[in-house]
Amino acid sequence: MRAPTKPPPPSLIGLAALVALTACTRPSTCRGDYCGTLVFAAAGQPDILLPPVSVQGLARDVYQQIFLKLADIGPSMNTLGDHDFQPQLSQRWEWETPTRLVFHLDPRARWQDGPPVTAADVAFTFQAYTDSQVHAESRPLLGGIVSVTARDSLTAVFAYRERYPEMFYAAVYHMYILPRHLLDTVPRPRWATAAFGRVPVGDGPYRFVSWTPGQSVELGADSTFFLGRPHIRRLIWQFVGDQQAAITQLVAGQGDALEFLGPLDNLRRVQQVPQLATYPYKSSAYGYMLFNVAAPLFSDRAVRRALVLALDRDRMNQSVWAGQAKVPPGPMPQLWSVWDPAIRSLPYDTAAAARLLAQRGWRAVGGGGSARTRGGQKLAIELLVPTTSAVRRQYARLIQAQLLTVGVDVKLVEIEPNVMQDRLAKGNFEAAILSYQADPSPTAGVTQHWGRGAPGNFGHYANPAFQRALEAAGHGANRPEEAARAWREAFSILNDDAPAAWLYAPNLVAAVHRRVADVQVRPDSWWALVRTWRIPADRLIDRDRVER
Amino acid sequence: MTAWLVRRCAAAIAIVFAVVTLTFLLIHLAPGTPFVPSDERVLDPAVVDGLRRQFGLDRPLGVQYVRYVVALLHGDPGYSFSLRRPIGEVLATTVPNTLLLSGAALAIDFLLGAAIGLYQAARARHRADVVLGNATLFLYSVPTFWLGLVLVLVFGQHLAWFPVGGDRNPVLYPSLSLLGRLGDRAWHLALPALTLGLVGAGGTARFQRAALLEVAGQDFIRTARAKGLHERRIWLVHTLRNALLPLITLFGLALPFLLTGAVLIETVFSWPGMGKLAADAIFTRDYPVVTAAALLASVMVVLGSLVADVLYSVADPRIRLGKGGARA
Repeated sequence: MRAPTKPPPPSLIGLAALVALTACTRPSTCRGDYCGTLVFAAAGQPDILLPPVSVQGLARDVYQQIFLKLADIGPSMNTLGDHDFQPQLSQRWEWETPTRLVFHLDPRARWQDGPPVTAADVAFTFQAYTDSQVHAESRPLLGGIVSVTARDSLTAVFAYRERYPEMFYAAVYHMYILPRHLLDTVPRPRWATAAFGRVPVGDGPYRFVSWTPGQSVELGADSTFFLGRPHIRRLIWQFVGDQQAAITQLVAGQGDALEFLGPLDNLRRVQQVPQLATYPYKSSAYGYMLFNVAAPLFSDRAVRRALVLALDRDRMNQSVWAGQAKVPPGPMPQLWSVWDPAIRSLPYDTAAAARLLAQRGWRAVGGGGSARTRGGQKLAIELLVPTTSAVRRQYARLIQAQLLTVGVDVKLVEIEPNVMQDRLAKGNFEAAILSYQADPSPTAGVTQHWGRGAPGNFGHYANPAFQRALEAAGHGANRPEEAARAWREAFSILNDDAPAAWLYAPNLVAAVHRRVADVQVRPDSWWALVRTWRIPADRLIDRDRVER
Repeated sequence: MTAWLVRRCAAAIAIVFAVVTLTFLLIHLAPGTPFVPSDERVLDPAVVDGLRRQFGLDRPLGVQYVRYVVALLHGDPGYSFSLRRPIGEVLATTVPNTLLLSGAALAIDFLLGAAIGLYQAARARHRADVVLGNATLFLYSVPTFWLGLVLVLVFGQHLAWFPVGGDRNPVLYPSLSLLGRLGDRAWHLALPALTLGLVGAGGTARFQRAALLEVAGQDFIRTARAKGLHERRIWLVHTLRNALLPLITLFGLALPFLLTGAVLIETVFSWPGMGKLAADAIFTRDYPVVTAAALLASVMVVLGSLVADVLYSVADPRIRLGKGGARA
């Protein structure tokens, strides 16, 4: 006998009603090659969409769709010379003299509120980025440029103090050109909270549409964009609490793209979802264990070398990244063109490590090398690691276990990133595991962190020979091969001094919905090429067709 | 009554002032620094120093405090360091979201909890009472974030009946009709409100059952039964009304939770409310937001306790508010 049909439970009726209500949209009419909505799952939220004053990476992901640079770095990521750069706002450029660079702006470029982009905007932008009242993060990197002037409305002239290999990169990579007519009335000290940064007007492929704090930012394609109409019509960054929430959003089909999947478990989770495709790319980050050379124990070069020798970094990488990371031959990500496995570096050799420690008076006690003392003092270090990084916490435990085998007692201190930053800046630490997200240029990154007295040189490392080699690599070399040789020399000196143990330079993986074609993820700036992505008409899904 | 209200308001202002002062001092004295990028970049300390100067953090703490209090008295709680917008604007978007979530959760908590408690009390020591007793004990014992994660996994990810986070569908929302927008908000509200409401209802039901059973054993209930009143009337009118007092106390205590209690759930469901804002602000050392959140929370605690006292007198005519404060 057939069972009587039960009415659906009230909760399902309610659910159905809600679903029906959410279907109350305007008709989905978009057809063809210029539809499409891309939802980026974003852990965190932007601070302000005004390039010089923002300090959050997520803000850059958004504003780089709104504002253009004069030229952008090419797929090779080569920062030396100007050969590998591609025009953006400038149609072409030429070197009038070795220290005078002339950009010719594209006359088709327009601000999204109508006026043309002019050389006066370029000069204004340079003034803003270098104004001490604006506190632009890239201000120190523009120090080689003396002035930027407007020769006529479409010609901007950059004058440099001297020639150096990355002078073109310095001019174009860090500055997004800003609209003078909208910003020159805003007092510079107020740029950090300027209302313009919440409703920006730019000259890029996408226009600002809306920003709901804590929820999302939306951009819309500028159909009149002079370099070609973007295929994807709407870009939405939906803010979620953290990396795991972002992955859940992606797996549940409510997000389309995430730039970094993180640990292997996450990658496996995403790979089980058929509608998601993964895109590996060389990361612009590297991780290292920094020694504070000003701390008594680490002022001894031999002790630092011993600790580096005692670490089996290949095994650690295998354990944490399952082979998706390499031991860097210096402070560098795989992205940098100066990456060279032939650079002289310390091998894994626990016997040599033990010998070095013994030579410095640290004697093994109790047998088995489980502890060492000198003058009654135990060989022990305190290692800072941020609570927010699963990867670095894994490394901390592996380091603790490996150093114990040569008699070094490692006490792990897990702290909040803000507290860690504070302690690093004050020099209040012995050792710390850091990760650095680098620009494509080795000059800026290495100088900023390892140059004598540099603000990011938290470990207080200094060696005149390294400093000379660094200056030769950054400013002295005029040809790429000379620069490469100088870099090799600089990194070899650094590795001999062992101010840090270089741990990992990973390959990362981004995930993007399979319906999206022509996906290219740029290592230094993941979504920089989104305007060239497209969703073929036969792959559109409902949310691609929704009219706003 | 008026004198009582004036005394309570004066005490309330003092309490709120003390909370703001303590929060301001503690968060400024806590280790850590604002303006640290959330990605892996290390910011040039000169840039951080510049931003600190720009937001007045280079001044002595006493000067910062006086400036903050003066600005606050003029209705200006300052700018958020991490969101670079006025605190008023930030609160205007987050407070309604939290009120919506916590209001819905409180409604589920008290309506469902009171109903279950009443049902259990009316069938005390029967099988239904035992089953519901165990179920409410389970719900009461479950950590909210765990239940939230389970609901996200089951109903968000696997069944895809509900969204896994956010307070609206950012793709559809702008194109929805008013009714559609209401539906979309309710759809997004369902899981977080249920998570908070169910856990709360577990506790409320147990509390309400005990209160009802205590009243049900009293002489006036026996008299009502002897007079031949209908059992439903005895429970719904005589017993329930007299068992409401502890529930009102509970409700008063729960009011502050309207703004502050949903920190974990707002984080699990990426719900853009006060709780998530305050948690993020603590981690980013966004001092003005942390202090503003504490200010709002203390105001809610004080108001909640005031509302509970007033409701007491409404529910029980024997309680009068006057000299010496509330008394029975």
